[in-house]
Amino acid sequence: MKKEDTVKLISAEGFEFVIHKDAAMVSQTIRNMLTSPGGFAETEHGEVTFPEISTTILEKICKYFYWNLQFASGKQTEFHIEPELVLELMMAANYLHT
Amino acid sequence: MMGGICSRKQNQPVIEDGVCRAVSRRYGKSSSSKWLTNSSFRPTVEQPPGGAGTCPSLLELCIYKICQSIDKYSSFSMLPRDVSQQIFNELVCSNSLTDVSLEAFRDCALEDIGLGEYPDVKDSWMGVISSQGSSLLSVDLSGSEVTDSGLALLKGCSNLQALAYNYCDHVSEQGLKHISGLSNLTSLSFKRSDAISAEGMRAFSGLLNLEKLDLERCSAIHGGFVHLKGLKKLKSLNVRCCRCITDSDLKTISGLIDLNELQLSNCNITDSGISYLKGLHKLRMLNLEGCNVTASCLQSISALVALAYLNLNRCSLSDEGCDKFSGLTNLKVLSLGFNEITDACLMYLKGLTSLESLNLDSCKIGDEGLANLAGLTHLKNLELSDTEVGSNGLRHLSGLKNLESLNLSFTLVTDSSLKRLSGLTSLKSLNLDARQITDAGLAAITSLTGLTHLDLFGARISDSGANHLKYFKNLQSLEICGGGLTDAGVKNIKDLVCLTWLNISQNCNLTNKSLELISGLTALVSLNVSNSRITNEGLQHLKPLKNLRSLTLESCKVTASEIRKLQSDALPNLVSFRPE
Repeated sequence: MKKEDTVKLISAEGFEFVIHKDAAMVSQTIRNMLTSPGGFAETEHGEVTFPEISTTILEKICKYFYWNLQFASGKQTEFHIEPELVLELMMAANYLHT
Repeated sequence: MMGGICSRKQNQPVIEDGVCRAVSRRYGKSSSSKWLTNSSFRPTVEQPPGGAGTCPSLLELCIYKICQSIDKYSSFSMLPRDVSQQIFNELVCSNSLTDVSLEAFRDCALEDIGLGEYPDVKDSWMGVISSQGSSLLSVDLSGSEVTDSGLALLKGCSNLQALAYNYCDHVSEQGLKHISGLSNLTSLSFKRSDAISAEGMRAFSGLLNLEKLDLERCSAIHGGFVHLKGLKKLKSLNVRCCRCITDSDLKTISGLIDLNELQLSNCNITDSGISYLKGLHKLRMLNLEGCNVTASCLQSISALVALAYLNLNRCSLSDEGCDKFSGLTNLKVLSLGFNEITDACLMYLKGLTSLESLNLDSCKIGDEGLANLAGLTHLKNLELSDTEVGSNGLRHLSGLKNLESLNLSFTLVTDSSLKRLSGLTSLKSLNLDARQITDAGLAAITSLTGLTHLDLFGARISDSGANHLKYFKNLQSLEICGGGLTDAGVKNIKDLVCLTWLNISQNCNLTNKSLELISGLTALVSLNVSNSRITNEGLQHLKPLKNLRSLTLESCKVTASEIRKLQSDALPNLVSFRPE
């Protein structure tokens, strides 16, 4: 995939997830960061750091982004959530408007 | 079966609800509005998010997951308030909140506790509810068993803005005192509460911010309005069906000049009582349905310059004195149904050109009178059911291009006159439930392609008439129950994919083939094919109708046990069915 079509999401531990921009835009919060004209650093570098989201949770969120895109294209499967992740994941989802 | 046939007037719009939206039911700003928009609609079967085809958000999925294993959580107080609020709402929505799971919400700073009509709510729940403290903005405990001592716990929730405590029999005059200090209350609702006596209402006298007070069906409030005199911010007062309210009570509230909504239907009020309202210059809505008033009260009503909504249904009005209607030129909604008025009265409505809704249900009006409505071009709703309107009247309606809803049921209109309606392309809802309407009538209105609701209940529509249904692709509800439809006619219904509500009962030749034909109408929420040749074997065709909530197959060779089997196998949303 072309670099301009991707975005880098960085977890609290510094782990980097490179995903399609389309997928990341599922999050309203990320969408705002990447598209707002105010000259956010995020807009320019295509990079967003989440100091409060752990790697495990951020990975799960990326999986959700792609699951959401599949759902929209008609492939409606179940999205599995491990019980031990659910509270932390929920808070992140709330923050990301996802 | 008979119930379905006889209850022809159940879906009439009640304009009195929702006119004043100044005070909404929910107060929290942070919570998502898609949850619990209406407390009375609470599905008993929980559906996972995304079931209806829209992609669930991750937050929704997490909340659903939590609710599924709610027993594992002992406290949500570490969560952000808006998140715990959504979990709470989802538990209420899915009927899975219990006194045990409620405990996890202690000290969560929730803003809205909407437990109206929720089962088993009692005093023991009030500890957690009151622990929300100053965060709490709205509480609905309607239908609960909460008593005086439970109510006392709300004292500490000093920011409470809305309290609903309808249909509660366990509170006393004494208990009401506990809310007298909640001076931030803007909305208070105590429907059908016998504890609210004139003396009990003393507790309201200090609620100086109160904007909305609902005492519908309270039987002992006569004389209590004296305690409302100081509530200068009061905008909305509802005392519908309080027979105890008399003219003297209206005298007491004549100084509440900020009132903009006053619901007095079925009170014991006469013309002289209405005269006390003359100073209410901000009054926008006045509901006098079923009161003992005559057209003489129009004299007083003419003084209400802001009045836009007036309901005088069932007041035994005659033509005498109706000339005063001509002065009410600001009216947008006028309801005159079930009165003795005739065409002579309609003459005085001619100049009410702001009217958007006019109800003349069961009045003694006919074709000539309708000529006076021809210039009311802002009309969106016109109710002419059970009148003497016939073939010559409809030409007067041809120019009402904004008309969205027209009811001609039980009138004398004929097939050939319906072509006069063919230009009313804004029409969304049309009721032609009249025996003399046939296929030819349906053919005359095929230009009304925007129709979403079409009622041909008693009309004699046959299979060839059903061919015309293909023009009405936007239909969401359809009734054809005249007896003339067979499976061949139902073929024309199968493409109406927007249908949520379908009644083709009383067509006794319909067979299982019909069910097969409509099995693709997956949006259907309600289906009635009573009095037909449907059998148990036909039920399998209904399996794709996942949204079905109501199924009626009376007087068919269908057994309750087979429907139950269908319900558990394939139709989780089915909550009401006949036979049962």
